[in-house]
Amino acid sequence: MLFNSLPFLIFLPTVFALYWFVFKKYLRVQNGFVIVASYVFYGWWDYRFLGLIIVSTLIDFCVGFELGRQKHEVKRRVLLLVSLVCNLGLLGFFKYYNFFVDTWVDAWHSLGVVMHPATLQIILPVGISFYTFQTLSYTIDIYRKELKPTKDLVAFAAYVSFFPQLVAGPIERARHLLPQFTEGRHFVFDFAKSGLHLILWGLFKKVVVADNCAFFVSLIFENPSGFSTLELLLGAVLFGFQIYGDFSGYSDMAIGMGRLFGFHLRTNFRFPYFSRNIAEFWRRWHVSLSTWFRDYVYIPLGGSRVSLYKQVRNVCIVFLVSGFWHGANWTFIVWGGIHALLFVPLLLFRNTKKYQESGFALRQLLPMIGTFLLVTLAWVFFRSNSIEAALIYLKTLFLFKAFDLDVFYNTPKYLLFSLISGFSILIMLCMEFRAFKRQRDALEFSFLGGLIIALLIMFLGVFKNPSDFIYFQF
Amino acid sequence: MKKFIGYILSFGVVFYLLLHIISVASFWTLRRSAFYKPPFLVNEVKVSDFDYIILGASTGLTTLNTHIIDSITGKQGINLAIDDTGLSNHYLMLQHFLANGKITRYCVLNTSLEAFDRQHNFLGDNDYRFLMYRDKDYVFNYYNSLAPKEGFNVLRYSKWTPFLGLSYYNTELFFPALSSVFYPHKRNRFDSLGNYTYSNVTGTPALKNKTEKEIRFKNPYLKKIETLCKQNNIELIYYFSPDKTRNVKCFSSSRNVINHTDVFKEVPYFYDAIHVVRKGNREASKLFANELIKLYLIEE
Repeated sequence: MLFNSLPFLIFLPTVFALYWFVFKKYLRVQNGFVIVASYVFYGWWDYRFLGLIIVSTLIDFCVGFELGRQKHEVKRRVLLLVSLVCNLGLLGFFKYYNFFVDTWVDAWHSLGVVMHPATLQIILPVGISFYTFQTLSYTIDIYRKELKPTKDLVAFAAYVSFFPQLVAGPIERARHLLPQFTEGRHFVFDFAKSGLHLILWGLFKKVVVADNCAFFVSLIFENPSGFSTLELLLGAVLFGFQIYGDFSGYSDMAIGMGRLFGFHLRTNFRFPYFSRNIAEFWRRWHVSLSTWFRDYVYIPLGGSRVSLYKQVRNVCIVFLVSGFWHGANWTFIVWGGIHALLFVPLLLFRNTKKYQESGFALRQLLPMIGTFLLVTLAWVFFRSNSIEAALIYLKTLFLFKAFDLDVFYNTPKYLLFSLISGFSILIMLCMEFRAFKRQRDALEFSFLGGLIIALLIMFLGVFKNPSDFIYFQF
Repeated sequence: MKKFIGYILSFGVVFYLLLHIISVASFWTLRRSAFYKPPFLVNEVKVSDFDYIILGASTGLTTLNTHIIDSITGKQGINLAIDDTGLSNHYLMLQHFLANGKITRYCVLNTSLEAFDRQHNFLGDNDYRFLMYRDKDYVFNYYNSLAPKEGFNVLRYSKWTPFLGLSYYNTELFFPALSSVFYPHKRNRFDSLGNYTYSNVTGTPALKNKTEKEIRFKNPYLKKIETLCKQNNIELIYYFSPDKTRNVKCFSSSRNVINHTDVFKEVPYFYDAIHVVRKGNREASKLFANELIKLYLIEE
């Protein structure tokens, strides 16, 4: 079920009403209802994959329970290994099986050996990368003795399957979200109202900004060699805003819905396009994933307490793994690699912490634009279907051979979509810049502001042929 | 919780009212515009008595040019074809034409070959172009009687909640409504007699080995169009436009048929498989005009 679909428009108020008016009395019943609602939400897309969530939930609940009881270090390690193998095994099979087979075949082919192995028609279960990482963090934290295991299977299953953030995050740590399932929730007007505003704002970013950008972006990336430098630059920039609107819009809606049900979910995007260097960008972009990699990959590798050489190695590993997490394609790995290359100089010059606490000054506009352009160029790899396609895109872009915008002349509809995109991006940037300057994590708006946003959604949004959420594929 | 429900209700009511006002105003503007053919016919076409009208989809729109036909025949016609529509929409256009007090001697019907034998009709991609007349019975009945190929029938429910259609088709309706406020006579890619031609690019010739397409007139909307024509003393002419890959074989002797699927053999007049370039438009219109003259001669 998509957040911007008609079934969800009925689903959300129904679940909200039942949650607060019918099932409020008993916490376990309320949690049980969250599980049922979440399974309906997920099963709407494909009920067959509910089994995966249930298996993942049961395995990690049992492993966590045993880890809490077990004192013997070797047995604890075995238990952790069971969780890792099961979770990463499922993820690996569904997401990476064909990629590994194809890469293996290509590698032998380059040596002159032709192989014909069996590839499988595997459907990637929506959100598997998100809930797998969520359950993994639970067992790892228990193993590290940073978290006590829960004995409440219902609360744990509700934590794993909580529908607002089940399929595209934010990736919530058990130590943050699980206690909210074991304690009673109370309805707070201001908290719920801010949730509504976040839902509206997220919807605006998704259906107005992202989906309008998608038309032009799809056209340009389909055959980049047929377009001018200016058109390609516009395509890359609009993709930058498409993916931001799409993903941060989803996160905002998820956080907003969490608030409607009395849950506090962590901020996932903190206005990343106002970053003044790549390090700051990664403190603001997909925060729940980057902190996950920091805590479970970077720090175990030694983090920043090792030699500079090893720090560089660790950063490269994290970015490459992060790229690979996004999808089974070399384009994502190269995208991660580019970010590593952009990050390493900051590490070498000890500049990674710069701008951590500082407000905005006008002289920072240039580094801000520079960072945005670097991120935009890296997105070309992220969006392209293959490395070759990305290289053709960049090659044509940097040939500076033509600066026309004939595409708008030939197909005026793209001009309209791009004008709407430009207008909505401007609104988004203005609104978010105000919050960024005040060093806030989320937007706040009045009754009238909410009405204007809602009207803009209705009249500028894409409801006919909307695009899927990009991050669903991850 | 009471405060929250109060907040949502007050937000919802104000939002709904604003949406409704904007939607009604947008449709009011579109109804007075010339942007799409239905309001164009009502607002810009002063003639009421036509010799012929052309109903159809994109082939009808781009193959027959009423300026050329009129200059040859001395008759008066108008092209009411809308691209990306089916027979059901052509029936609706004929109803709209008659409902606005217009009459015609001949009705030329040209649509995609597949449409003739389609048993089940759905709402088409461009059926929203009648949405400004959603309060008219014939328009509402049309939206009510057909289902979209997939999803929710926004056109049907737009009668009571016009913002549904306006939001769903916002680039097709809301922005044209805005533009019509400033340019009420602006037309959406058709001339003063409803014609549109592809740019003057060099076309391609027809294939040497064309396939044969049998037409058995099975679409139930054909019967509806024929009945409506009969009731209004309109002579219905089926026109099969030049086709690059197929020739038509008709299974009907009782109908007026002009079959021009095979008229362009060697000449490079095709834009794609079913549409012609500007030169093709000119030649096809001349050929059609001669057929129309013959019909009038027979009558006289």
